[in-house]
Amino acid sequence: MVSLTIDGKSVQVEVGSTILEAAAKVDIKIPTLCWLQKVSPTGACRVCAVEIEGVDRTMTACNTPVKEGISVTTNSPALQVMRRKIMELMLVNHPLDCPVCDAGGECDLQDACYEQKASKQEYSALLERRPIRYDWPLIESDPNRCILCEKCVKVDHEVVGCDAIAVVNKGEATIIDTVDGKPLNCDFCGNCVAACPTGALITKPFKFKGRPWSFTKVQSICAFCGNGCQIEYHAKDGRVARVTSEDDTFNNGNLCINGRFGYSYLTSSDRLTAPMLRGQNGTLAVTDWNSAMSSASGKLKEIIARDGAAAVAGLGSPRLTNEESFLFQKFLRAGVGTNNIDSEARLGYAQAQAQMLRRFGFSGASQTIDKIDDAQAIIVFGSDLGAEATGTEYRVIKAATKRDARLIVVNMRDVKLKKFANANLKNLPGRELALIYGLMKALVESGAALPAGSEAIKKELSALSMADLAQECGVTEAALSDAAALIAGKSRVAIIFGTDLIRSKDAATKIAALADLAVLTGSAGEGGGGIFPIHPKTNTVGLLDMGVAPDSLPGLQELAQGAPFAQSWGAKVPSAPGKDLWGIIEGIEQGSIKALYLLGCDLTTLPENARIKKALAKLELLIVQDIFQGESLEFAHVVFPAAAAAEKSGSFTSNDNRVQQIFKSVNPPGAAKADWDIISNLYSHLTSSVQQGAPAQVMQEIKELSKSYQAHHSGKGIVKPAAKAKGEPGFAPVSKAVAAALPRFQLLVGQIGFHSGTSTTRSANNLTVSPTGYIELHSTDALALGVVDGGTLKVSSGLGAVTAPAKISDALQPGLLFAPTHFKELNVNSLLMGNCNLVEVKVEKV
Amino acid sequence: MAEVVFSSWGRSIVDNRKGGETKAASFKLPVTYDGEKPLSAFIGWDGIILYNKDVDIPAMVAEYMKRVQTRYVCGKCTPGKKGTRVMMDALLGIVEGRGSERDLDTILDLGEVLKHAKCTLCPSSSVPVIDAVTHFRDAFLNYIRGAKSLSSEFRYIEKYTAPCMDKCPAHIDIPAYIEAVKDYRFGDSLATIRDSMPLPSVCGRVCPHPCETACRRKNVDESISIMTLKRSASDYEWQHGHLPPMVPKAKKAKKVAVVGAGPAGLAAAYYLALEGYPVTIYEALPLGGGMVAVGIPPYRQPRHLLQRDIDIISALGVEIIYNTRVGKDVTLDELRAKFDAVFLAPGAHRSKPMGVEGEDKGYKGFLTGGIDFLRNVYLGLPTGMGKKVFVVGGGNTAIDCVRVALREGAEESVLVYRRSRKEMPADIWEVDGADDEGVRFEFQVLPTRVVANDANEVVGVELIRMAMGEPDASGRRRPEPVPGSEFIIECDTIIPAIGQDADLSFIPAEANIDTTKWSTIVTKYVPLKGADGKGLKDGMGNELSRTLITNCDGVFAGGDAEIGPLTVVACVGSGHRAANVIARYLEGQGISLTDSERMEDILSYLGVYDKNEPVAWLDSASREHQGEIHGKERASYKNYCEVELGFANSQAVREAERCLRCYRVAMIAV
Repeated sequence: MVSLTIDGKSVQVEVGSTILEAAAKVDIKIPTLCWLQKVSPTGACRVCAVEIEGVDRTMTACNTPVKEGISVTTNSPALQVMRRKIMELMLVNHPLDCPVCDAGGECDLQDACYEQKASKQEYSALLERRPIRYDWPLIESDPNRCILCEKCVKVDHEVVGCDAIAVVNKGEATIIDTVDGKPLNCDFCGNCVAACPTGALITKPFKFKGRPWSFTKVQSICAFCGNGCQIEYHAKDGRVARVTSEDDTFNNGNLCINGRFGYSYLTSSDRLTAPMLRGQNGTLAVTDWNSAMSSASGKLKEIIARDGAAAVAGLGSPRLTNEESFLFQKFLRAGVGTNNIDSEARLGYAQAQAQMLRRFGFSGASQTIDKIDDAQAIIVFGSDLGAEATGTEYRVIKAATKRDARLIVVNMRDVKLKKFANANLKNLPGRELALIYGLMKALVESGAALPAGSEAIKKELSALSMADLAQECGVTEAALSDAAALIAGKSRVAIIFGTDLIRSKDAATKIAALADLAVLTGSAGEGGGGIFPIHPKTNTVGLLDMGVAPDSLPGLQELAQGAPFAQSWGAKVPSAPGKDLWGIIEGIEQGSIKALYLLGCDLTTLPENARIKKALAKLELLIVQDIFQGESLEFAHVVFPAAAAAEKSGSFTSNDNRVQQIFKSVNPPGAAKADWDIISNLYSHLTSSVQQGAPAQVMQEIKELSKSYQAHHSGKGIVKPAAKAKGEPGFAPVSKAVAAALPRFQLLVGQIGFHSGTSTTRSANNLTVSPTGYIELHSTDALALGVVDGGTLKVSSGLGAVTAPAKISDALQPGLLFAPTHFKELNVNSLLMGNCNLVEVKVEKV
Repeated sequence: MAEVVFSSWGRSIVDNRKGGETKAASFKLPVTYDGEKPLSAFIGWDGIILYNKDVDIPAMVAEYMKRVQTRYVCGKCTPGKKGTRVMMDALLGIVEGRGSERDLDTILDLGEVLKHAKCTLCPSSSVPVIDAVTHFRDAFLNYIRGAKSLSSEFRYIEKYTAPCMDKCPAHIDIPAYIEAVKDYRFGDSLATIRDSMPLPSVCGRVCPHPCETACRRKNVDESISIMTLKRSASDYEWQHGHLPPMVPKAKKAKKVAVVGAGPAGLAAAYYLALEGYPVTIYEALPLGGGMVAVGIPPYRQPRHLLQRDIDIISALGVEIIYNTRVGKDVTLDELRAKFDAVFLAPGAHRSKPMGVEGEDKGYKGFLTGGIDFLRNVYLGLPTGMGKKVFVVGGGNTAIDCVRVALREGAEESVLVYRRSRKEMPADIWEVDGADDEGVRFEFQVLPTRVVANDANEVVGVELIRMAMGEPDASGRRRPEPVPGSEFIIECDTIIPAIGQDADLSFIPAEANIDTTKWSTIVTKYVPLKGADGKGLKDGMGNELSRTLITNCDGVFAGGDAEIGPLTVVACVGSGHRAANVIARYLEGQGISLTDSERMEDILSYLGVYDKNEPVAWLDSASREHQGEIHGKERASYKNYCEVELGFANSQAVREAERCLRCYRVAMIAV
């Protein structure tokens, strides 16, 4: 600790603290303007300059470390004059367009001038106006308003890991511009805009939408991925006009394009606004809630009476709140009497989580993502993390760049994190297992100390040949041992894995092997670096926690533990497992399932959707409850229009088990209602009872029935305790995978950063930077096929064909193509078979 | 002798404008800019030096501030960005007839505000302006009252520099690369380094870093760890598998041959290749790197990283032909015939004799020289080393020999030097490193005789103790032998490591290339003279401002063979300048130096760093130290693992934050 005196007050702070931090500790406020806690200090504005006894110049408090025994003065007549003059200089040629500046009213420059009493102008210079950049998408830059605090550039570089903008030119002509002077081309997270203290950077969608103080602000949780970023909706006249996040949130105010700009989907013309019923003539027609409810419940009763409860099934959605998912499974289990309930988590995440639960005893992630900050090494396996959970990627970037963590990235394509990686292991598509074994074997061979019990796995690995493994996964032995050296001997190795592993072929075996690696690195253990499974959808962890699965009850309890539920609900809870996602589809095909309740789940966008559509057409009753008109509507008998996240309250559980409350900012459009309201209403109709659906009451019920949610209360997110860790986890036996020859072409379908699911393909903002689907291919393949960038490609699998513009990208590898999953018009998911996101395809130039 | 009309340089005023008795003032500046045109005024961070009273000081400082503001101000702090602009506009307003007396007050006021700027550039650039307004107020008032410029035709030439950058023989833009590290932009940092230094992994490790002796932070506490930060930038690219971003210009027709793939040859090849010139390097050894490869031990410079730097240069289109000695396998004339320009950078690989009795007897165990010993070790050739090794010398090569001897299995490794430890020319950290590894030192002794047995094998060496003698004419005391103090140390190997020079025998007499008695190649220079009429010399005693062309048309020379045996960084600087001169020569511009190169030489003579300058700063961030492996183990048999480990990146950023960014701009009127 270091002791010093500030304005006569003694203070003790950690070695390396700045004077600014020391002053804050004794409630002395030193004025700042360019200082931003989450990035490196800049020292540009000079407003925080203070006097130090014995030092013959002022020192800036924001970037000067403390020293034992110094005496600091933060305010003196000389400092006041200096600060005022600096503000006057800052205002030289600053435009006086405050009345029409978006930042007016929330401008740090205005505040600082006022604070420093810069009420007149002593200085002048010839006026030079810099062109305003109207040609950037989503963001507008007015360099004339810029005070060159560099916050935007630093956030862009240090937090987001982008290098889109930079300080360019010299002298008074110095501005913030794109590095090449062309229109902005970046991740469009808008974190630069949020950091801008003035109106130099503004978002175009918000421009002229109103004065900052005229909006109603509601704190909530972002509903675009499982990262659980804390946000604020700013609403006026029933519309969300912008989304912001403060720096003191868990996510440090950092958002992604979806979080910041995706809100415009709320006002999409695709929104469902009224209940609909399929009439005698076979067409859907708008109706009132009561008719829709009566029709749906009547039909359900009829089917249950005739074919039994097992003829009914429901598919939920990670879009729903915990409360709604709970109600949904309660409706199906207690109201209908079936365990035929599942969701798109069945495409891989549910199984991956079940394996982690079995092996290590945790669900979701083993730790909260802020622990990534402390990792000594990080392995990001099979995930374009920025596209799946941007906020988690920000953590990884921070750990790798600012906290000396070594980073290993494993993927079949180069992802954004590659540039931060100490090892970028680019495996042949689908050959992840050999890579994991290769990495484990290299780790063993590095001679690093390994945990007790690893003898068995060492022995099994010794039967494998490093050369064979290297050849099979397409990564050299040297690269594998270099990577192993990065984790060898480290006690805190974080393992993050995502969709490209979770939805790969034979994912179960690969995840078992990854868990073995986690045992070797001690990641799962106490004090270890943690294991972080990533799912790109909002509330997948909560959905599974709430029992939206055919084989588990809320709190991840087994069906055999149904007694307390039956007692609480006053109804029987079926004890036999129900059908899962693919079982339900087969059931429909075979005629055993006659009624399907799609709650926020557009089945027509999943893999094998041609087959699915055929099945849906066979249903006697299809209830579609959603926020958008999707293709499922074609087959629906009853349509319930639902509210989006900004239009309702409840809670979400993040990928890392933080249970956080969302709050309603605006009303849903037209007659649309919150899902909890609709489910409880239907429940009441079906059972002729009064069902409570209000989120607070449902949460009470959840807590009573699921221990892990008992700690949860309103306000800031509470970390749901992980299930009890089971004893020492053993190793899964090494499975000898037979590597078949690689197909000539394989198509990988996945997330891209510009979108979240299909919802942002209805967001006008997102569409300005990513309007349509495409198919990426490697330049060598493009050359072989004679395709140019922007040319047309036809890609077909055994299940169908799609035609799309080609994009050449050497982030891929020869033989591997990539297409974004989001665009329903392109419908690349129709080419996929089962859960796997990689499919053999034929590729032709059109 | 050039008379100073006015000077405020160094904050002391000499004003001879009013007549009366002339006060003398002399500065380390040439009387001419280029050997012809007289230097009329010099202004910069420390004031104004006026040699010619006709220089229009208001116009000159207005132009100075305009260049500072529009060409160099980084814009990254408020006083700097805005204050210098207001100052520039006020000055221009005055000389363009739009000024008022109030503007002078504003300028003086801004001088005070600028003291709060982030770095040194803007405050130091306001110094000559403030001096002008203070001491030449009448000249400004004349303008304000409507007088037109007296103007004489002076040309202004400015130069952007910093103490460290000036001191670095390669003139790397050190503050820029440090600032990039501070901003977590290791790639940008390396790009800046490569602008002047194509062997960053080498000079991030083994540079004697003269820059750190000229670091202004030293005036506060300790210098910035400039060298290790360079290593951080360089290692970042390698550790992250990033590809170097350089793209050479379109291929040109004229070709260049380089003799020697050492630091000078590689540097010249690198910059010529970037310009598009096809370059072929002829290298006598089977590997590249020159003295770095066969002189510097791998525990200081891992060979794979040296090779990476060389591979990057090769990838730009530079061809290196190994095992080819010019003068033997190919002649200089052949090169001259085949190429449009030839750059001689053969290095200094010939050991100097020790001058003791018995050294020429061919005793077994008496090795020809330190540099030969090291070369044989690195090339995997037999060295003739025994178990008790005795090395003579006090330079880095001697230290390398004793440390390498340990790694080659010597049971005892002894270094003898005729002066004391603190007088050793070797870098202090090298001496400490040898100490750490168990080397024995014998100071203030001189070998006098090699002791051999009947089988003509070395069995020992006879030494005599040295003591400081009486001061000589220059006042320096020289060590002198103490009669009767002879003694014998047992050993089976003697390695003289007392220096090396260039083997210039490959240059045919008819090539008409002058060489010196120290076996260096003579190159042409700009005849700069001081006020005393003497030619200006650099720190090595060479002419200050050299064009690096020899007497022979199309043949240039650089590196150790031109400078005299020096450092990697000096050779890189020499190779870089040679590349620039050669490129201009090939473009038909004759042999000349640019304004920037001339100013570089003039400033390095003047000295940009002032060790007596009081630098006000809080000394609360002490110098970071890189990790290091300690103990005798690191020098175990065949253990050539790197001893120094570099900074963690977070540590590099902390160290970079200590930098005071001491940029400044000098401008002359000629």
